[in-house]
Amino acid sequence: MDAHIRKVYVPMTETGFYILFSLRKENHGYGVVQEVERLTNGEIRLAPGTMYGSLSKMENDKLIKFVREEDKRKIYVITELGSEVLDLELKRIKRLYNTIKEAE
Amino acid sequence: MMETKKEFKYFTIFNHKKEEEYLREMHKKGWRFIKVSGFGMYHFEKCEPEDIIYQLDYNTEKDGREEYIKMYEDLGWQYIQDYAGYSYFKKPVSEMNGEEEIFSDDESKNAMKEKVYKARFTPLLVLFLAVLIPQFIIQLSLANYTVATFFGVVLVIYIICFIFIGIDILKSKK
Repeated sequence: MDAHIRKVYVPMTETGFYILFSLRKENHGYGVVQEVERLTNGEIRLAPGTMYGSLSKMENDKLIKFVREEDKRKIYVITELGSEVLDLELKRIKRLYNTIKEAE
Repeated sequence: MMETKKEFKYFTIFNHKKEEEYLREMHKKGWRFIKVSGFGMYHFEKCEPEDIIYQLDYNTEKDGREEYIKMYEDLGWQYIQDYAGYSYFKKPVSEMNGEEEIFSDDESKNAMKEKVYKARFTPLLVLFLAVLIPQFIIQLSLANYTVATFFGVVLVIYIICFIFIGIDILKSKK
C-alpha cells in the first residue's frame, strides 16, 4: 500500500467506510445506498453526487473494481488493496471503541 | 397553449447555490424550469406551485453519462439538462425525508467546488502567465508603446476579473 492511499483513506470518511464495507459483496451504487440505509437504520442516506464521486475515486485508486453492467448500473466489488485498507480502518475503529469502553 | 416565460439571469460559475435557490423560488411561484440557454436565458412553463429542490453537479466527464444519470434517477432525482459544464437535477421535497441535496457530505461537496475552480481558473491563468505578461514585457522593451498599452489594459482587466473570481470563491467557501 503506497503513501498516497494511506494518506487519503486511513482514516477514511464515514461515507467511504460504508461504501467499502458494503462492497465486500458485489453491488451497484443504488444497491450500496440501500444497504447503507439498512445498516444504519436509515440514519445515513447517501446522495447520488456523493455516491458517484466516491465510486469513481475508489475505482481510480483501485480500492474497488468494476465487475459488469446491469441495466445501466455499474456493479463493483472490493479489491485486495481495498480489503487491506478496510482492515486497517476496522482495526482503528475497534481501538476507538475499546478506548471508549474502558473509559466508561 | 402552455403559458411560458423567459428571464435573463446571470450567475457566475461559482454561484450555483444562488441559481438553485432561484429555480426553487420560481417553482414555488408556479413557474417550472424548462431549460437554460444562450448566455443565461431561463425558460419557464406555468405550473401548479410546488416545492422542488434543484441541484447542479459539475460533471464534464463524457464517458458513462447514462450510468451517471441512472444513479440520480434511482435515488429520485430527475435529470433536466447540461449547461456550461453543469448537470441540472430536480426532486420534489414531498418525496424526501426532510431536505435532500445531491451531496450528503462535505468532502464530496468540496470535491465538486475544487473541480469547478480548476476547470475555470487554469485556462485563464495559463493565458495570463504564458501570453499576456510576456507580451507586455516584450512590447515594452521594444518600445512599441501602443501595443504595450493594449496589453497593459488587458492585463488590468484580467487582474480585475481575478479579484472578482477570488471574492466569489471566498463567498462560496462560507
